Amino acid sequence: MKVEFKANKAEMLRSHIEVIREAFKQAVAPDRVTVEYPRERKKYPPNFRGIILFDPEKCISCFRCAQICPANAIQMTFYEKAWPGIDYTKCIFCHFCVESCPTGALKSTKIHDVAFATMEEMKLRAVQLMKPPEVFREDKVTVEYLIDDKGWKLVRKPEIDELVVEAVLPAGRRKISVCVDPESCLGCRICVELCPSDAIAVDRKANKLKIDAKKCSGCGICVRNCPMRVLELREVS
Amino acid sequence: MIAMFDLVMQILKSNQIEIPLIQPVVDSLIEIPVLNALVALILWRPFFAVVVMPGLLVLMIYLLYIIWFERKLTARIQWRVGPLEIARPLRGAIQALADGLRYFFQEAIVHKEAHRPYFIQLPILAFIPVLLPIAFIPAGNVVGIKTPYAIQLIVAFISLIPITIVAIGWASNSRFAFVGSVREALMYVAYEIPFIIAVISMIFLYGSGDPYVVIEKQWIPGAFLNPLAFLVFLIAMLMATSRLPFEIPEADQEIAFGPFVEYSGILFGLVMVLAYEKLYVMALLFTILFLGGWSGPQIALLGDLNAPIWLVIKTLVAISIIAIVRSMYARYRIDQALRMGFSWFLALSVLALVIGAFIGMVI
Repeated sequence: MKVEFKANKAEMLRSHIEVIREAFKQAVAPDRVTVEYPRERKKYPPNFRGIILFDPEKCISCFRCAQICPANAIQMTFYEKAWPGIDYTKCIFCHFCVESCPTGALKSTKIHDVAFATMEEMKLRAVQLMKPPEVFREDKVTVEYLIDDKGWKLVRKPEIDELVVEAVLPAGRRKISVCVDPESCLGCRICVELCPSDAIAVDRKANKLKIDAKKCSGCGICVRNCPMRVLELREVS
Repeated sequence: MIAMFDLVMQILKSNQIEIPLIQPVVDSLIEIPVLNALVALILWRPFFAVVVMPGLLVLMIYLLYIIWFERKLTARIQWRVGPLEIARPLRGAIQALADGLRYFFQEAIVHKEAHRPYFIQLPILAFIPVLLPIAFIPAGNVVGIKTPYAIQLIVAFISLIPITIVAIGWASNSRFAFVGSVREALMYVAYEIPFIIAVISMIFLYGSGDPYVVIEKQWIPGAFLNPLAFLVFLIAMLMATSRLPFEIPEADQEIAFGPFVEYSGILFGLVMVLAYEKLYVMALLFTILFLGGWSGPQIALLGDLNAPIWLVIKTLVAISIIAIVRSMYARYRIDQALRMGFSWFLALSVLALVIGAFIGMVI
């Protein structure tokens, strides 16, 4: 097959000159964006989806993380309360658990380079999630991509990026549990017993649920377990 | 025996290279019984020209440099990093040395279908036409064999190199090697005629094939005296050393290094550097013909070493600039390269011959 290539002679010459100019420009000051990873580290945003840390003080054992996990990687284990353990053989790092946690007990870190020796070691229990894994840092330089209208470039700063950052709680309205249909309430008190923050009480005289808005963490355990489905999570302004 | 030794020493001492910078060291070393023969041999002009500068030692250093430099330069232009991990503070500068060592200790496999004696001999035999021209390339007073036909001889030896490469492909007896050697043979016809005509045009221009006359007549660099011959020589140099726009015989992506596909170990190390050595010899000729050879500012302290240093520096700079072509252009097809070689490339060289003859008559 013969491919006809028609081009203006002047245009061809111009593109040749363009190529030569570009090649010399790149040879002197290349636009390359390679990060020499173990020695340099890219600066990740604070909400980077890395290894997940667990704070038992904040955990209210609401099971939300285990419920929402699409890979079924979180198993709750009973210590003082039910605490989540993460199976990293299954975890897909979607961080739904971190986002769904109403109290911020789970938080993400920028640590993404963790190796495990065996498959068994990848199943982390809650106590192993409490402190960040040991990372051997070789990097002396932090690389940042700067993007503007003209293009993008790399900026290298001789500083070490902190991998464990303060948790950024999802910016949503706070939700609390509300009884929407008191007439249908059976008075079974499952919600009262289940509530991890003791926010629900039964008013015997009025035969009604009393939900303490201050104590309610909006975890939704009562909503899920109500046999009559009269409880609902509602946003509070 | 002693008389013979004295005679040899006398011959060696009669033609010593003079470098004022290291003269005191040489004077003290020449008193020591055994070392004096060695020092006298190294500083003997023909030996120095062939073995040290611009000969084999510089060739070795050049090989280590150019392989690294070319890879690094191509990597930079293609937004990669290139060799880095060996000698990190030097950004991978001794990568070629490490590769060479690895080739040296690797098993050299000779496959069943190969013509065994030729397969093993030819990489070594190929060095004869590659290295012989170095004996004829002068650098000022430092010269191996002094002859007024040096340039013609160099061209003759360069023309012999493709024959060994074709023979290597034949001895390998594999289909890729066969395709590679046929391509090499075809390319050989395509570039050799314009290349020789370009050199002849420069010989016409200077009126002699003697490098000394050539340098003497270059009041401005030869590139400006006959730009067409300069262009033809440059393109022929790219074709002859199978560099990228004309990397047709080796064509990594299609025929996996062409004639050299079956080689491994130290034999591969030998054939791999063939093209680079050819480039060095051709670039030396290029420097002498077009860039004013070894003429340059003289430094009194270096004495006779001035000329070789300038020659080598000019050659290395020329090669380093040529190396950038590799990352700029894609490969031609064999038919495109042949059509080019026999049409406008040949016409250009004939035009260069006319210009050379005309200017040769004027000056």
